[in-house]
Amino acid sequence: MPHSTSKASKSGVTLPPLRPGPHQRRMDVVAVVATFGGLLFGYDTGVLNGALEPMKQDLALNSVTEGLVVSSLLIGAAIGSLVVGRMSDSLGRKKTLTILATIFLVGTLGTVFAPTLGIMIPARLVLGFAVGGASVAVPVYLSELAPTERRGTLGGRNELAIVVGQMLAFVFNAVIAGLWGHHEGVWRYMLAVCALPAIALFLGMLRMPETPRWLISKGRHDEALAVLMQVRTKDRARAEMAEVEHLAEEEVEAQTGGITDLAIPWVRRIMLAAVIIAVAQQFTGINSVMYYGTELLQIAGFSDNAAPIANVSLGVMAVIGGSICLFVLIDRIPRRKIIITGLVGTTLCHGLIVLASALLPDGKFRASTILALVALLVLVIQITLNVPVWVCLSELFPLRMRGFGMGVSVLVLWLANALVAQSFPTLVSIGGITGTYGTFFVLGAIFSFLTWKTLPNTSGRSLEELEESFMQGDFR
Amino acid sequence: MTIIVAVPDSIEGARALSAAATEAQQLGTDLVVCNLGLRPLDTASVDTDVKLTVVDRKGKDDRDPVDAVLDEITHRGAIRLVIGVRRRTPVGKAILGSVSQRLLLRSPVPVLAVKVDE
Repeated sequence: MPHSTSKASKSGVTLPPLRPGPHQRRMDVVAVVATFGGLLFGYDTGVLNGALEPMKQDLALNSVTEGLVVSSLLIGAAIGSLVVGRMSDSLGRKKTLTILATIFLVGTLGTVFAPTLGIMIPARLVLGFAVGGASVAVPVYLSELAPTERRGTLGGRNELAIVVGQMLAFVFNAVIAGLWGHHEGVWRYMLAVCALPAIALFLGMLRMPETPRWLISKGRHDEALAVLMQVRTKDRARAEMAEVEHLAEEEVEAQTGGITDLAIPWVRRIMLAAVIIAVAQQFTGINSVMYYGTELLQIAGFSDNAAPIANVSLGVMAVIGGSICLFVLIDRIPRRKIIITGLVGTTLCHGLIVLASALLPDGKFRASTILALVALLVLVIQITLNVPVWVCLSELFPLRMRGFGMGVSVLVLWLANALVAQSFPTLVSIGGITGTYGTFFVLGAIFSFLTWKTLPNTSGRSLEELEESFMQGDFR
Repeated sequence: MTIIVAVPDSIEGARALSAAATEAQQLGTDLVVCNLGLRPLDTASVDTDVKLTVVDRKGKDDRDPVDAVLDEITHRGAIRLVIGVRRRTPVGKAILGSVSQRLLLRSPVPVLAVKVDE
């Protein structure tokens, strides 16, 4: 397929076809190492799911401080996503990822050995900085090294690495809880496992190349060519230099727009649509399941021993959903359609969870019904709202608005995530499963409507066509 | 000699552009058009005997339109700046700031401000 034909890229540069060879292996190694960033991201966000219960007793957490332990990571991530973009522009992609791996390790050790909440929260903030940073730096690193033909799937693969990381965290937590559940401070063992992928990322990144795009943006053309020679055939590397220079130029252009441009109605309108889908995605409560799944299942009626194991099935569902989306659906269904279907579908799931929790008598049947419905919720979200929202965001903004627009969207997304994570334990303690998912149901209905009103369809239309119709006030 | 016009993506932008074209014609100067919007600017409405150069904003340094215009004034040694102004709500100004107000206060050359009929 993409290997057989040569391809004229957007810059009009015709590139020789990709051919197998030793450079191909090198590229694969680069992709695997960088994906450790996504894996770590997932592991660190998912690891509390299972570790939280024993930690609550040890550190004497109430529902507010419990929320704080979870959401402090997300606040750190919001800061990280803001700072690391700049850091990777000035220091370089490779150095930034190496530094992030070190911060991952430092943050992990902080959480593992935290004697009190006073150390735990700052350690989670530090860890969050690395998580948010990785969410920005890893996709950039991968896309700048990957050949045009493989660029699209690589970003999605990073999303998949994140859910695989979360699933692995659930699996390891279940195993550790099964083996050493009676040990005091068993949650420390669970958190300690995060150190392994951090070390792997650090050691791996030391041997990885800097990206050609960054080198060119610093005027280091010879080094850029040398890197391309490592990961492409010789003829292709020379041909790609022109393309990379064009992309570096485009990158500069993407940084043009800023807050004053929001005075223009059509720009404001796109920004609004972007912020709405970012918030809508988080208000589905996906991450409350990924962070608090074990606790949720215990409240639903699972025993302390069974809940961590049942929780693994939620992680598996996320991976299945993510794969279906990425390998089957993503380019077959228009973005607007898949996102709105997903929002309506998740809102229905919320409704069913409310009914099951309110109407069924306590017992095994209620517990397993709720598990099945939450698993369905996770599946629907991963198929329709995770990768499609990211892709849609990146397509929504016209070039000169992209840097600012994506920056704002990602920040809003992390803050919405933090808000849900912070309030979830309090919601559950006040309203139980019925009240909590009743809240998600109402929010879901509101955001489905807002999305339906504001979101233009971005797929199957070139960026120029989109820009044209936005400016004429047509947002469909 | 050159005069500069700041043209945002709005009615006052179009108004400023036509006023600046008349001004350039009267003074017998070139006209440099600073396109403050994010899309390409259509200058078809301007009189053709005025020599006209369109400058787009590009990159982080031009993120603030005021900086982009002030740079252009110094860079081209312009003798006058033309802008369009419009009544704004205090809330709108508080949130987004006023580009016209900052240009009026910071421009090193005389500013011609034209109003949009309301």
